[in-house]
Amino acid sequence: MHERTQAYLRGRFGDHYRNQSIDPPPGANEREWGYVPWTEGPGETYSRHNAMIDLGALEDFLARERPKHVYFSAGRYDNPGATTMNEKGWRRSGLIFDLDADHLPSTTPEDSYAEMLADCKDALFRLLDFLERDFGFEEMQIVFSGSRGYHVHVRDEGIQRLDSDARREIVDYVRGIGLEFDELVEEETVAGLGRKTPAENRYLPTEGGWGGRIHDKLVSVLSEVRDLPEEEALERLQEYDGIGEGRAQAAYNLTQERFVEIERGNLSAHAVFAQLARQFATEVVAEENAQIDEPVSTDTNRLIRLPGSLHGGSGLAVRRVPREEIDDFDPLVDAVPETFTNHEITVEVTDGGTVELGGDSFTLEEGVHTVPEYVGVFLMTRGRAEKGEE
Amino acid sequence: MKPLHARYPFLQSAREAVEAADVDLVTVVREEEAVRTRALDRVETALDSGRVGAPHRRDRVELLSYPVARVLVSLIDEHVLTRKYARAEAATAHERFEAEFTETTELKSRDREQLSIRTLLAEFGMTEGVRETDDAYSVAVGTYLAYATEERGDEWRLVNRTLRDGEIELSESELLVLIRQAIRDRVDEGLPLSVPDAIASHLDAECEQIRERLADLDLTRDIDTVVPDLFPPCMTALLDQVQKGEHLEHHSRFAIATFLTTIGMTTDEIVELFQVNPGFGEEATRYQVDHIRGKTSPTEYSPPACSTMQSYGDCVNKDDLCEQISHPLAYYEAKLDDADEEEIIDWRERDETAQS
Ligand code: SF4
Repeated sequence: MHERTQAYLRGRFGDHYRNQSIDPPPGANEREWGYVPWTEGPGETYSRHNAMIDLGALEDFLARERPKHVYFSAGRYDNPGATTMNEKGWRRSGLIFDLDADHLPSTTPEDSYAEMLADCKDALFRLLDFLERDFGFEEMQIVFSGSRGYHVHVRDEGIQRLDSDARREIVDYVRGIGLEFDELVEEETVAGLGRKTPAENRYLPTEGGWGGRIHDKLVSVLSEVRDLPEEEALERLQEYDGIGEGRAQAAYNLTQERFVEIERGNLSAHAVFAQLARQFATEVVAEENAQIDEPVSTDTNRLIRLPGSLHGGSGLAVRRVPREEIDDFDPLVDAVPETFTNHEITVEVTDGGTVELGGDSFTLEEGVHTVPEYVGVFLMTRGRAEKGEE
Repeated sequence: MKPLHARYPFLQSAREAVEAADVDLVTVVREEEAVRTRALDRVETALDSGRVGAPHRRDRVELLSYPVARVLVSLIDEHVLTRKYARAEAATAHERFEAEFTETTELKSRDREQLSIRTLLAEFGMTEGVRETDDAYSVAVGTYLAYATEERGDEWRLVNRTLRDGEIELSESELLVLIRQAIRDRVDEGLPLSVPDAIASHLDAECEQIRERLADLDLTRDIDTVVPDLFPPCMTALLDQVQKGEHLEHHSRFAIATFLTTIGMTTDEIVELFQVNPGFGEEATRYQVDHIRGKTSPTEYSPPACSTMQSYGDCVNKDDLCEQISHPLAYYEAKLDDADEEEIIDWRERDETAQS
């Protein structure tokens, strides 16, 4: 990055911070703050272990330093400015989830930026489903990371003091790691009519947890099967591993005659039902798990991007997204900072290509161009352009 | 001092009873051999059988032996002893109240003060996180995780629980397991205590005896121990490749480096270990390891979970234990736990002996 480009970006980041009010996170004084200043050369230097008290008021600091990246710690400490964890004196820590397009198995390097972000949003919805329905978390903040994904900050009191092993359990939960079908199943003794020995019935939980998710899928697939003409239904069932004609028939009969057992999750109703349930478990985990970046959530000292700040690798805003607005949120439009939308600038593109931003698509070849400022900033922060002379 | 306190000496009310009785610990350790002996017995039995032994017939001796036992553990200050001791106190208490709760009413001695689940929950600040339902308990997920994470076994993994709206249903006996963990934490809290000389000087003989016992058992190690024999298969394979001088992909190098860092190897030790491989320049290795450690980055990295290892093809030669865990570190910890009684040599120490 040329000196002129850097000076320009730093100046404009400063303009942005002067016009922007930023809500600090709760307990800002107890947190460690980190930032990356604009520096020449390819490497980046982190300034870590800063306490708010040393930086001064957040907005003043940002307007003065105009950093490239700004972070605060999920953890809260007795001495946030101390350099070792021991001296810091950990008190508590929010729970952070990071969804990054890079970690999603569904994305490939060929996908466009917009496609990756859309995949990420799907994963975000899956994650929120766990956090809301299963964990019942109430204090959550959803944030567009400013680059390739989303962060979720959970601040419920109940998780604040969990250590990293306990947090790993939460990670494993949303990723479906370590799920054992037989452990999900509940056994119930039924005193059978006229039976000498009471029977054990095995039930899949019908609500809550992974068991409930697997059950939902069973009910939805099998109710489709129930409503199909018999021949089609049998064919459909035989698509599953290890289901031949005989078992398909048995499963079909179950849907016709005793669908209520399926609704109850009674795996003992027929062996084929249990067999299907077991198979569905694997599928449901593959389809419904949320591929969060594990180390972020298990680390109680993690630094995380400050919502409201600018991402120095994209020029986009790290933006809070209210829960009810996620559906409509388009990061490539809604995270474009106001500051950069009012005029055009000249840049020298060194690595051309298509940029989708601000609801438009720009295809730029190498060379000098005049573009909306946010496009220029995007290209410069990515190292794909240098500031041209105005 | 009540029998209840003698049976459950970790209770807040037991501590208060000791304080109220104005007992001077210096005088106790100097003059009451019975207390010293029973305290020693607590610790030794913890090492031998994971319990704290039969109670002394006098409540006062039994109760006072608990703080003295904690003093002994503090004086030795070996991680493994502290862990085993806390576990043993908790296991014993658990057995006692489990028996009390299942005793039929007729068998309950009329005049013995009983502990109730409710009292225990209140004792450990768990009341808010635990709700009684018709035939079981609903436990808040935060409370559950605070105490269940240490339990082995798939049934304790959160992923296998029916978690709904932040709550998990537990049977009474499962809840008692969580309480057992809370007791363990309570016993462990504040250890090692700083012990004034006036007390320590009267416990030399007891300490000596425990040290000997520890030496016999040779279990002075913890997770900060590097025992390649107990590494999970994936890490063994990676380490093999490193030492054979083979090229490692970035993710593989990251996995082995984070693993070794997490189990307690220093940057220098890792650099030295990787030196045999010409593919790893010293500077680059040092930089990478420091980075992982969080010295040069905003993050301390931990090794990838099995699922990640699998997706990179780094999970090889899975064995039976692999089926029960989801993280290479969990594998290693489990092996270390199982190997408690066996002879374990930290290879760093082994090297030192070889050199000296
Ligand atoms: S299952 Fe886990 S611990 Fe076992 S070899 Fe694979 S990655 Fe390693």
